Amino acid sequence: MSLAVQILVTGLAAGGVYGLVAVGHSVIYRLTGIVNLAYGDMIALGVFTTLLVAAGTGPVTQATAGSGRFVLALVAGLVVCIAAGSGSYLYAVQPYVTRGSTIGWVAAIVAIAFAIRSIIGAVFQRPSYVFPDALPFRDIGRSGFVTVAGASVQVRAFFVIAAAIVLAVLAGLVLERTRFGRGLRAIASDADGARIVGVPVDTFVALAFGLAGGLAALAAIVAAPSGSVTPETGALLGLKGLVAALAVRFGSPLRAMAAGLVLGVSEATIANAHVGSLELGTSYRTVVPLALVLLFIALRPQLEAVEERE
Amino acid sequence: MTTAAFDQTRGALADAISDIRAVWTHWHTLAAVGVGAAAAAPAFAPGWFHLDGVAAAMYRALAATGLMLAVGLGGMPSLSQGAFMAFGAFGTALLTARAGWPLLPALLVGVAAAAAAGAIAAVGVVRLRPAFIAVTTWILTWLVVIFLLAFPSISGGSQGIVVSRPLSPTVHYELALALLVLAILAAASVARSPAGLELRAASAKAAAASSLGVVAARRRLGAFVASAAVGALAGALAVDLAGVADASDFGPFRSFELFVAVVIGGAASALGPTVGIVALALVAAGGRFLADLEGVQAVRFEPMFASLLLLTVLGLGGVGAVPAARRFLARRARPARPVGTVARPRVRAVDNAALLEARSLEKRFGNIVAADDVSLRVAGGEICALIGPNGSGKTTVLRMLAGTVMPDAGTVLVDGAALGSAPARDRALRGLVRTLQSTSALTGLTALENVIVGAGLRRRYGGSLRTLVASPLARAEDAAVRTAALETLDQVGLAWAADVPADELPGPDQRLVAVAAALATRPRVLLLDEPAAGSSVEEVARLGELLSRIRTAGIAVLLVEHNLRLVRSVADRVVVMAAGRVIAEGLPDEIAAHHDVRAAYLGRRAL
Repeated sequence: MSLAVQILVTGLAAGGVYGLVAVGHSVIYRLTGIVNLAYGDMIALGVFTTLLVAAGTGPVTQATAGSGRFVLALVAGLVVCIAAGSGSYLYAVQPYVTRGSTIGWVAAIVAIAFAIRSIIGAVFQRPSYVFPDALPFRDIGRSGFVTVAGASVQVRAFFVIAAAIVLAVLAGLVLERTRFGRGLRAIASDADGARIVGVPVDTFVALAFGLAGGLAALAAIVAAPSGSVTPETGALLGLKGLVAALAVRFGSPLRAMAAGLVLGVSEATIANAHVGSLELGTSYRTVVPLALVLLFIALRPQLEAVEERE
Repeated sequence: MTTAAFDQTRGALADAISDIRAVWTHWHTLAAVGVGAAAAAPAFAPGWFHLDGVAAAMYRALAATGLMLAVGLGGMPSLSQGAFMAFGAFGTALLTARAGWPLLPALLVGVAAAAAAGAIAAVGVVRLRPAFIAVTTWILTWLVVIFLLAFPSISGGSQGIVVSRPLSPTVHYELALALLVLAILAAASVARSPAGLELRAASAKAAAASSLGVVAARRRLGAFVASAAVGALAGALAVDLAGVADASDFGPFRSFELFVAVVIGGAASALGPTVGIVALALVAAGGRFLADLEGVQAVRFEPMFASLLLLTVLGLGGVGAVPAARRFLARRARPARPVGTVARPRVRAVDNAALLEARSLEKRFGNIVAADDVSLRVAGGEICALIGPNGSGKTTVLRMLAGTVMPDAGTVLVDGAALGSAPARDRALRGLVRTLQSTSALTGLTALENVIVGAGLRRRYGGSLRTLVASPLARAEDAAVRTAALETLDQVGLAWAADVPADELPGPDQRLVAVAAALATRPRVLLLDEPAAGSSVEEVARLGELLSRIRTAGIAVLLVEHNLRLVRSVADRVVVMAAGRVIAEGLPDEIAAHHDVRAAYLGRRAL
């Protein structure tokens, strides 16, 4: 029982972030027909810019940053992340999408991913970093841990889950209620039609590209102090969000979010699972979902198969 | 018996040599001298020339050349070549280091295992849209490297698996050079082979290629497996050269680097990947220099420079280095259209004329009735024009005849036999071929190659294996197909443009190339979708003359056309559609005077 609670809480906390990334992947795919393979690195750019402004590149403890400086850092991180996302879409990706060159946009987007990753790696040269925590969770309970139903869980985890849900609801509201959101839905259903009725398609799509990055980066920043971060963290996060999005075939934000949560909980389950006497452990945590989603696409390629249209 | 076989072999060899001499240029001499010099390099190379470093780069070039089969020819943006290198590398390393096998059998088993893995991946991948090929291969790359790093018992963890190095760096250098040259020659030969042309055709215009009877998935499967196997071979040998199999050598960056090499070198060029690897090596050297100045680890800069190089090449137009150079060199010698009218050769007569029939075809898209109770008959040696205002359902009817849209009700028959749900290739083999409404010449192929793709439909010895080893039957057939294709190109008046890339021809000529490709399949029924779109009066006249010759050959022609001048000049019979129904049928002059037709085109009030 206590183990189940632990798995559920840590799984939902991780899954909330995966879910937001999955929402971003789905929205971008529905808008443009491209899959943002640089998504994770764009998120990492936001996270590491925040870290840079909040605490520099030196060794960090969780208590390093003051809250004023942290707010400034957060804003800087989000601005850089959104600008990088929008800019790279407009200047490096969109030309190939217009031309219908898949090889072109795939090459460009993976190039952006590696460019971002190596810039981060050049600035942050340690193997891993502790992310400062602006909120004093470590003062609650036993240095940040409380006991729930016999299980010892991080208080932060509840905050991360709540933040992910709030952000997801916010994203949903933007998509449903604002002119921007209605424009995006118009583009997703018929880009040419949307252009004709006066939706600034390129601007909106580029903005969505950036905002999707910003949204996920915000969630990643909220979650970051719970563990350590490395320049590769972002890439893995993007990949896991992609796995969740693929599992629901880039479906609605609600389904993508749910898929992310399920992925988070299954990872936590796999990490703690036993098969007979064999303990699966963390090694299987990432490998199994990746393998399963490949199998899923290979066996039932509905969305992904070549259309017979002209 | 043996003497006969010997003579045959000698004859084939002599033919091959004379073929090579016929196309030999000073570029080939230069290349041969270059390879010779490179092979002799270990004997007198200066000390700064690191044989092992160059050999490692050549193994990467080998892997990239293999990848070019999938990316360049197949149009599949595969991001998993690093993973296939890892399969070969770890398969071989485990067998030699853990099981104590000698290198050669371990190499063979490792490569075979990787090819099998490639085949499994390919079965899942080839049906996917290009964007999803990129996504799935990208996930595969991460999966393999995470798997290897997560299970040190298999991969040796961050230490890797240390292997004994039975071959010296010099042997590796010569071996890498030989394999690379062989791979480039093989890739060039595959690119020009029927299989290669079909791959390029399918990746340029999938629908147009499919209408000529090309089955893309089968060819792609072959290309993907071959590319995986070559990658695995390169990976296995690279590990033997380095003396250690390290999982992090075959991660996402390796896959990306090889993909970049193919793209910047020029996706469909055999030499391109090698040029790309050289460019990346130069950039990496620049990065190391910069890193020394700044006192940072060079590894951190390499991806950035590779990315910037790629983005620059893409930004400059993205055709890649080798095709750009080739285009530049070819610019001076572009053939021009001959002036004046020339008598064109007769279109080859069909052996037995066909009868195309459509009975009560019906198709709905949601609430929209695209075709309602449409019946048609076109006999051999007849041109039937299908006209109607935009949105009247002409193209839908054509697609139902061609089998790309399945009717909700009704049947399509050729010679009284229902076609059912026969795919495009089966229809083409039965003699039913169509051209597409859009400019459907295959980009990236020359006009002649376009027609050869069409002529490939009826090849008997066009399999990948036969073309790869250039068996005598395949070579003889190659020559015959080429001659037939040239003749067909002459029939449409484009013999002068044989070696011009189809996409550099004006629009109306591109449509003629598509008609020639369709004719080369030796059709009995030809479905033409607006062949005159965008043509001048003079071009329409020439097209009319071509259609008359096609009719004389006994081919049944269904012509969907907006150009009423063309319809009146060549059609034997006209069928008019409006709002999904046939509203009139008759001789061109009758139709022109028909009240309902004028109403459909102009609206009732105009009358």
